[in-house]
Amino acid sequence: MSTIVSMTGITRRFGAVTALDQVDLQVEAGKIHALVGENGAGKTTLMRILYGGLDADAGVIEVEGQSRHFRNSAEAIASGIGMVSQHYSIIPELTCLQNLMLGAEPGLWIAERDAEARATELATRMGFEFSWRAPAGSLSPAGAQKLEILKLLWRQARIMILDEPTAMLSPADGDALFVSLKQLAAEGDTIILVTHRLPEVLQHCSHVTVLRGGRNVAHAAIGEHETPDAAQLAAWIVGHEVPEVQIEAVAPGKPVLEIRSLRVRGDRGEEAVKGISLRLHEGEVVGLAGVDGNGQRELFQALIGVGTVLEGSVLLDGRDVTRDGPVERLRQGVRLIPEDRHEEGVVEDWSLELNAALGLQRLEPLRSGLWVDVGERRALAGAIAERFRTKHGGLGLPMRSLSGGNQQRFVAARALALKPRVILAFQPTRGLDIEGTLAVYAALRETCRREGVCAIVVSFDLDELLEQCDRVVAINGGALFEPKPGEERDRAAIGRLMVGAA
Amino acid sequence: MGSFDLILLLKTAPGLSLALLLAAMGGLTSERSGIINIALEGKMLISCCVTALMSVAFGPWIGLLGGIGAAVVLAMLHAVLTQMYRVDHIVSGMAINIIAFGASNFLDKKFTDINRTGEIPQLPFEFYYVAAFALPLVLWLYLRRTKGGLRLWAVGNDPDKARQMGVDPVKVRYLALLATGVFCGLAGAWLVTNAGRFVDGMTAGRGFIALAALILGGWRPIPAALACIAFGLLDSIQLQLQGSKLLGAGIPSQFWNSLPYLATLIALAGLLGRNRAPAGLGKP
Amino acid sequence: MNWKLAILIVAALGVVIGALIAIGVAPSDAFLQILKGSVGTPGAIGRTLRETTPLLILGVAVFLGLRGGLFNIGVEGQFLIGACVAASLGLKVPGILGVLLAIVGGAIAGALWAFPAGWIKAYRGGHEVISTIMLNNIAFHLTTGLVAGPLKAPGQQSTTTATLTDSTKLPMLYSAPPLTINIALIFALALVAALALWLKRTVAGYELNAVGANPKAAQFAGVDVRKVTVWTMLASGAIGGLAGSCQVLAYEHRFYEGFSPGYGFDALGVALLAGSSPWGVVPAAGLFGILSTGSSFISAALQIPKGLNGVLIGLIIIVFAAFRYRRSRSNG
Repeated sequence: MSTIVSMTGITRRFGAVTALDQVDLQVEAGKIHALVGENGAGKTTLMRILYGGLDADAGVIEVEGQSRHFRNSAEAIASGIGMVSQHYSIIPELTCLQNLMLGAEPGLWIAERDAEARATELATRMGFEFSWRAPAGSLSPAGAQKLEILKLLWRQARIMILDEPTAMLSPADGDALFVSLKQLAAEGDTIILVTHRLPEVLQHCSHVTVLRGGRNVAHAAIGEHETPDAAQLAAWIVGHEVPEVQIEAVAPGKPVLEIRSLRVRGDRGEEAVKGISLRLHEGEVVGLAGVDGNGQRELFQALIGVGTVLEGSVLLDGRDVTRDGPVERLRQGVRLIPEDRHEEGVVEDWSLELNAALGLQRLEPLRSGLWVDVGERRALAGAIAERFRTKHGGLGLPMRSLSGGNQQRFVAARALALKPRVILAFQPTRGLDIEGTLAVYAALRETCRREGVCAIVVSFDLDELLEQCDRVVAINGGALFEPKPGEERDRAAIGRLMVGAA
Repeated sequence: MGSFDLILLLKTAPGLSLALLLAAMGGLTSERSGIINIALEGKMLISCCVTALMSVAFGPWIGLLGGIGAAVVLAMLHAVLTQMYRVDHIVSGMAINIIAFGASNFLDKKFTDINRTGEIPQLPFEFYYVAAFALPLVLWLYLRRTKGGLRLWAVGNDPDKARQMGVDPVKVRYLALLATGVFCGLAGAWLVTNAGRFVDGMTAGRGFIALAALILGGWRPIPAALACIAFGLLDSIQLQLQGSKLLGAGIPSQFWNSLPYLATLIALAGLLGRNRAPAGLGKP
Repeated sequence: MNWKLAILIVAALGVVIGALIAIGVAPSDAFLQILKGSVGTPGAIGRTLRETTPLLILGVAVFLGLRGGLFNIGVEGQFLIGACVAASLGLKVPGILGVLLAIVGGAIAGALWAFPAGWIKAYRGGHEVISTIMLNNIAFHLTTGLVAGPLKAPGQQSTTTATLTDSTKLPMLYSAPPLTINIALIFALALVAALALWLKRTVAGYELNAVGANPKAAQFAGVDVRKVTVWTMLASGAIGGLAGSCQVLAYEHRFYEGFSPGYGFDALGVALLAGSSPWGVVPAAGLFGILSTGSSFISAALQIPKGLNGVLIGLIIIVFAAFRYRRSRSNG
């Protein structure tokens, strides 16, 4: 087999951080090649360099034996390389056909009929079906993923980079995707699959390259005699054996938060949460496992007082708070670690000190009457930064001077401050390394135990929840599923609940 | 005068719509590419002034080219500021209006030849009529049926995703603003041709009315053009009512002048249907 | 300083200097005459301070809006409406009561005039710049119509109201003609101080800043973003109307067609130049006041059309806006 893509000695620095250090990647033609690693291992950075979206500081890229240096995506596309990034590049306001053509139009004048015929031909080849004149905004996640693949074929890409293609898909749609990808590989196309889902790698790929901390760790063929197993891959990815966390059992205290048959409307008018009931007790950390987009967001919105509750109620310490707005909820002790800290959790232009009060600004002792207590705010900021050892150069510096992980530490610590009652954490460890992840969960548990507080943690990583939470429940299609007695720690059983296969 | 003359109304309305049509189409290319354009007024005004000065000196064609050139210079300044210097679209647009107002006053006061204050040489009116009424149709086809139109639409909706697809948003926006300059230049040249001479601030808010028409028309060429024609009609009704003894003559002209703005305000309040602004309007 | 910015500054200077040379005026001469005409004599200083007052108050109005994430381009209209209401109230009720009534009435009128823009932004998603542009034009036509009709002083040829009686005027703080300073200037400075304190030290000021800096984060922090948006616009409009009241009560003593020479638009420049602190409004308004008074002077003294001042102000805004962007980015 011939090598079609060869990257050698690729190095890339962002300021003082070396994101990629002398990384090599050899990909054979007509294969599905997996690129795996933790968040922040450098997978996406490496792929963006290959696709011309980013410059390497050092290293050589060869495509089909020729040395290449792509200054932008257009040049990469011209050489037959295409990429589907994790966040789709589909523009919802354009039609499916317009999205397909954009950037690779058939000519200055667009004959829609001819273009549509060609598009249909491509789709039929892959076994897809599209109504081409419909706005792309109406596509399901799986439909959007299919359109992204057709966009690559339209551009006659022979080397396709797919970044976490199954992250937003149901298991059935994911399986269907791999059928298509195998068909493409059989036709001679090359696929580079960026993923962190090991079963995908072992089942569907023929080679795997593992990155850790911006360096090559391993390269292996799959399906031959030296095939690594999942444990071996996991060890390569993580670097050392993952310590089994021993959570001390907790005797459930009295109930704090009680959700009764809650139904919530989503942004698009659909019923996103369909009758969820759940009771949380003092000292308890409950994990909410589920694939992204199954009602987690809407449930949290209802709990912080900004969602549209259709029916049901939320009780806090026995009191009905369903109709209370966000200000009252904050006063009652509801705290949120939001999903997207840049957009939702901090004001990046503000100093750490100002950010410390964000969300707590109306609470004593930060407030006295109409006035801000500046001394208290400074003291709180210091305490928050101290808690998870946030690395910073001074409380007066803007938040944007902190790295992503340190911002996340800051936001998490803030949610634990000023006597919370319920902590709602949406992917609280996103962007954190393992050490940071462990610290956040430990602090969460410790706060819950010590102050008699409860917490709900949403994560798309079931393993993390099973290791770190007292109890795990699954959410699927807006409904909640509690594992059967005896299966509370059964990964497979909860996994089935998550995808509605139980 | 004295009675309501429908024929006269239909004769004057197209002339009053012309500048609005041209400027609104200039606004369309700009805003479709994602650049908020409150500087149509200034681009028109500078063209009025330069067209007048250069027509007197070099004849009507050179005058027209000069006017267009001046508007294009301001449009390119707008492009450079928003794309290269990342200045806010509104701030740069406002600054361009201030500059255009000042510069046209300065040029007019200092360079108008006092010995030749008569009518400036004119191009035939038909030239402007054809240009203004064909333009919305041409743009409609361009947006629906061409590569450039698709890219313009895409960049205005989401510049980042368009870039991922190999479209260069900056290039698209420079071209869009170039078109804005040309169309606003034409609009200004028509105004000064129609009026016969340059007067300080002679655009009198037409750039903002054109923007209003663009919004009322949902950022689409044909509806925006219809809104321009409606505003032109309104203007001509108001001119007729002045000095006539008919019903409505007691209403001050200021009321009629406010109507386009009021209609747009109501449209913005969503009382005339959904807001259809390009999704990426104002994004860097 | 980087090369891009350097090019911009050189180009801007080149335009102004080139224009001066083209009409046969030595740039250094023009510069000295601007200074002489604005701060060179007691009378000139008085005129500059008078010109600075509305810029200061309107600058505060725009600045407050910007802090809350609103581009209140409508201060021009709020200024006109406030002035028109203040003049008619002051004419109806003379004396100190009339002064109070005119101040409050002007502020309320300005706030009401700004309200649609705030409401449309908060609840309809319509851009406040577009709606305030529309409101500006309506305000212009409305006040012109009023002063040409019902408010017109009997027996007057020009479209103007009657003049306020002496008891309905704001007094001079310092009067040694030709240098006079009206109490309105002190009032404007007090407004700056109050705003600075309010923004930095109150919970409401904190929340307004949060909405302006990151509305989504503010929402998650329990701030009612829509309500804050509407209130910010109302407050900004009230200050805009107040500027109109002060202009009538302190300096003009009547309302007439063409009342504002574009103070509202200059005030946008003032607020942008002010940077991130309300105190920045003071030197910025002073600079614009100097340029405006000075350019009036040189248009007579050196036959330089007043339009050059507009070009200069536009270029200053551009250079400063480009500079501010670079600075905020270099933090990251």
